[in-house]
Amino acid sequence: MRVDTRSTQLLKGTLDMCLLATIAQRPCYGYEMVQQLAQQGLDLVSEGSIYPLLGRLQHHGYIEGYLVVSRDGPKRKYYRLLPAGAKQLEHWQAEWEAFARAVERILKGEWSDAQSRPAHTATDR
Amino acid sequence: MHRADQHTQQQIADLVEACAGYWELRGIALESSKEMQLELEQHLQQAVSDGKSLEAVLGPNPAAFAEAWAREMRPRFWRGGARVLRGLVYALSIVSTTALISQLLAHAPSFTFTMFAAYLLTGSGLLALLLQFGGFLSPRVRSRAGREALVLTGAVLVVLVLRLAGMTVNWSQALLSWSWPVTIVLLTLTVGLFSLDCWCTLNRAQTSPASTSWPTLRAVTTFVASVGVFDMMMFVGSVAVFDFCRLSLRLV
Repeated sequence: MRVDTRSTQLLKGTLDMCLLATIAQRPCYGYEMVQQLAQQGLDLVSEGSIYPLLGRLQHHGYIEGYLVVSRDGPKRKYYRLLPAGAKQLEHWQAEWEAFARAVERILKGEWSDAQSRPAHTATDR
Repeated sequence: MHRADQHTQQQIADLVEACAGYWELRGIALESSKEMQLELEQHLQQAVSDGKSLEAVLGPNPAAFAEAWAREMRPRFWRGGARVLRGLVYALSIVSTTALISQLLAHAPSFTFTMFAAYLLTGSGLLALLLQFGGFLSPRVRSRAGREALVLTGAVLVVLVLRLAGMTVNWSQALLSWSWPVTIVLLTLTVGLFSLDCWCTLNRAQTSPASTSWPTLRAVTTFVASVGVFDMMMFVGSVAVFDFCRLSLRLV
């Protein structure tokens, strides 16, 4: 049985956002997105998992797919960002930053510094 | 970067074919399905060229991948009916032509549809479906012959298990019996449904810019030939197959 690592779980939860941000940089096709994510250190357990998400983003009107005729091969499907997608990406970025800040504060112990309270002492029963 | 060998190319083709068949059954629009097949095939080709495995793209369960993608592509139940209609046309054609041939040759006033014929029809349909979906096994079983052998072994094992569980079948039991007029009605219905199937296929091909048109003559020839082969199997081979089945089940 395969046990997912924490980073895999984190990536699963944020993959749609990462894909949208990748497409926002420039129009690209599926395999290209996987390569760009891998270059940033985000390796997918199954690369194909991007396609259902791309379908969902397309269904929501955040991106659109279009076929590009290649000179030395068959057509290739590219994806580009739509205005609704750009707006959604801004919203997700703000949401992520707030979330990441909160997690960081907790991990660094800043939260306990702010609420400085003496630690519990063990009591005998 | 290395070029995929012939086996891997076949694995990719079988996987894409299995996904396409599944998406058609799930009711994905033809245009979308064609684009999905194109994307999947190109991704698999490029991944293999970069030295990755098929499992790295599709995960441990390709059928689950196909279903996950289908769910996001707004499937419509009625669109999947096209494949069901084709299956129905095949079944009706085989039954009506077998009835016609036996009534003509034997000068019999009626035709009897036996349990054996029902099992042969259902079994063949299921086997054809399983063999196509056997492409989902591609990441695990490399050769096509191996996948087909696995599916066939599975089917034989199911029959043996059912037999061991005490299931008995009276192969010659008559399920239905009908006379000439019913055969003519069945033939007319078959021709009507076949025309509807051809019309649907041509209509979908014309409305979809991503698809290539399916030549009608080729489709009709393939259809008639496959029905003819099945008729021969039902009519000529039935005695031999029937005796073989009876003997093998007796031996179990």
